[in-house]
Amino acid sequence: MKKLLSLMLVLGMLLSAGSALAETVALKVWGSQDDQAMLQEMVEAFKAANPDKEYDVSFGVVGEGDAKTKCLEDPEEAADVFAFANDQLYDLLNADALYEVTINKDAIVEANVPSAIEAASSDGHLYAYPITADNGYFLYYDKSVISEEQVKTLDGILEACSAADKKMFMDVSNGWYIASFFIGAGGELGLDENGKQTCDFNNEAGVAAGEAIKAFTAHDAFLTGDDSILTGGIGTTIAAGVSGTWNAEAIKEKLGENYAATKLPTFTCAGEQVQMASFAGFKLMGVNTMTEFPEEAMALADWLTNEENQLKRFQMRSIGPSNVKVIENEEVKADIALSALAEQSKYAVSQKDVLGNYWSPAEAFGTTMEAKDYSKDVKTLLDEMVAAITN
Amino acid sequence: MPKLIPAGRDRQSFAGIREIINIFKRGDFATRSSFLIMGFGCIKRKQYIKGLLYLIIQVAFIAYMLGFANQYLSKLSTLGTEAMRREWSEARQIFVRTPGDNSMLILLFSVMSILLIIAFIFIWRANIRSCYKAQQYEKLGKPQPTFKAEIKTLLNERFHITMLTVPSLMIVAFTILPIIFMILIAFTNFDANHQPPGKLFTWVGFKNFTDVFWSDPLISNTFGKILGWTLIWAVFATFTNYFFGMILAIMINKKGVRLKKMWRTIFVITIAVPQFVSLMLMSQILHDQGPLNMLLQKWGFIESNIPFLTDITYARITVIIVNIWVGIPYTMLITSGILMNIPADLYESASIDGASPARMFFSITLPYMLFVTTPYLITSFVGNINNFNVIYLLTKGGPLVTDYYQAGKTDLLVTWLYKLTVDKQNYSLASTIGIFVFVICASLSLVVYNMSGSVKREEEFQ
Repeated sequence: MKKLLSLMLVLGMLLSAGSALAETVALKVWGSQDDQAMLQEMVEAFKAANPDKEYDVSFGVVGEGDAKTKCLEDPEEAADVFAFANDQLYDLLNADALYEVTINKDAIVEANVPSAIEAASSDGHLYAYPITADNGYFLYYDKSVISEEQVKTLDGILEACSAADKKMFMDVSNGWYIASFFIGAGGELGLDENGKQTCDFNNEAGVAAGEAIKAFTAHDAFLTGDDSILTGGIGTTIAAGVSGTWNAEAIKEKLGENYAATKLPTFTCAGEQVQMASFAGFKLMGVNTMTEFPEEAMALADWLTNEENQLKRFQMRSIGPSNVKVIENEEVKADIALSALAEQSKYAVSQKDVLGNYWSPAEAFGTTMEAKDYSKDVKTLLDEMVAAITN
Repeated sequence: MPKLIPAGRDRQSFAGIREIINIFKRGDFATRSSFLIMGFGCIKRKQYIKGLLYLIIQVAFIAYMLGFANQYLSKLSTLGTEAMRREWSEARQIFVRTPGDNSMLILLFSVMSILLIIAFIFIWRANIRSCYKAQQYEKLGKPQPTFKAEIKTLLNERFHITMLTVPSLMIVAFTILPIIFMILIAFTNFDANHQPPGKLFTWVGFKNFTDVFWSDPLISNTFGKILGWTLIWAVFATFTNYFFGMILAIMINKKGVRLKKMWRTIFVITIAVPQFVSLMLMSQILHDQGPLNMLLQKWGFIESNIPFLTDITYARITVIIVNIWVGIPYTMLITSGILMNIPADLYESASIDGASPARMFFSITLPYMLFVTTPYLITSFVGNINNFNVIYLLTKGGPLVTDYYQAGKTDLLVTWLYKLTVDKQNYSLASTIGIFVFVICASLSLVVYNMSGSVKREEEFQ
């Protein structure tokens, strides 16, 4: 017994001494698969810039879209610093998973565009570091098929596509894109005082938007699918498509000289032309509340999203910056996709007030429309959709 | 129906307590002291090692209860009252976190401690028994068995204990403990808004159960409809595979068919490709813009795409058909073996009597098959109720519809449960649904199994 006890004591002493001696800051960073190499470069630079501490940074592949899910599965095992899409902010805050940004806050607020800061804040408190301001969508089109005049209205685009026997692509069975019609028509997604989702997509304007979606999806030139359909077909079978900057390279390559991008068109809603809206999404870098090293994790998150690294992101991956200085950069300004996004951003609304319950019901409505299943009228479907969203 | 409770069982369960009372009555001072100080009686009668072991167990148990279990068990009734706190630290310029109660750990360690308490009670009883035994040995003037001799019995007359200890402990730790934990979650409000360690969750009684059945119309409607589809799916998936597999086996087994082994091999080859790979490929092939649609269009068979996976009816038929494709080889293998075992003279005499092939199938083959394979049918039916792979990899439960709560038209209860846990973090609701799935599966299997010929007329099987 004595032997065992003394052995345990020695072990315990060794352990505590070990942790006291080597001040190694162990941090885990999550980013998407495509960002891994870039993140490693940035972290190496961070280590070089902070030689006073020993950093042991490990990486995990968790895309911005999955960050919330993965983080909430087991917050204690999740990364210390992780990138996420800003619509996950409230869900993360509800679970108390984000560390409030207090160090260097004023400089961060000053360096980034106000909309990005707004997207990372709740009640005036900043909870994350903006990485990009490009998580939105706009219209790519083939200049040889669609004229600059036609591209202004959805009807014009569909007409041009029909005439050329080509398609217009939009993933309507996706809550993110389908919101374009509803919000364009004046619909609102918000939060009530208890933090529950509110949604008025089933009011008169919403039903009119729903009818417009019905007409759009029923059109011969309409095509749905995922990104691979768009990037695979554009230039050959597809003449126009709604997507975001992440497809810019692929589409540019396919369309060559005919590559063009602009804001979303207007659509006919209850007999009038209404501008299609969009979600303005931001990607943010958050610090996990469970982190052992809050200061260091914040410093790293700050570093990963600073001016220099936002420019690097643009150069390496054509990601649109949220940093005001980087936005003014000549290279960034010349980018066709990013300028189309900037144009669309006037009609964009923040995606922050959209909770997790929104997506499946919205997708369900889109799926029903795409399947041309008209067994229930649009009003009934929208009532059901809103009930499921606000449940 | 067999009697579930043998007569006298309830008297037996009191026997343990009566035995303890009797021991206390008849025990001398040393034995009675062992009620409080474990191993006392053994030590007094010179069974030092055994007595010391009991004593160590008791000390360790008390230390465990006071030092560790106490902090969790005392909070079991509320599952914690203090959430994680944050305080502004001027020096560090951040909000410093002080961890509060973690409801999940409270629940988990409480369940673990309760199991340990039960285990301790058993050890305590063993202690009293062996002390009493030592007392009786002394009274009769017999020498006390040495520790070595008692250890030896573990290799001989008590060998079953030696063999089963480790497996039993494993089952308790890795099966029973998690199951109790999961069942208890169904009585809490553990969801995305009550997520430890940031937030607390607590007991809500039967709220989740009433939600699923009636009090939340959206959820109960979704549950009812998904349950309906799950049963339809399970019936179709099980019996289509069964009959088509059997027909295939009969065809290959038929006299006059050449290259039997080659045919069997060809059909079995599909098993060589992992099921999830074939399923994911299928989902790509059947996509709206997928290769199959493109080919059919190119060849001029169809005008517009067939929505294999996006139209409700098409999707439901598609999953059943794809399931037939991946499932038939297995039933073919099983039934070929049984077919070859049916005595050939039965068929010979039937054909002499002038029975048609159909008549022979329904009067000889099918009854024989059903007799042997009912247990297999039950397991595959239950397996299909929980057939996550086929559904999730093919359609992800879609097409989604607006009147379901976070689910689609081909969702089974188990895939809905998956979405609720992984996508929505609604663990308590998912746990409730899990309990129902278990109840449905268990009661169906028990009833059908006990009614089946394989059980009732077991002795008839030759």
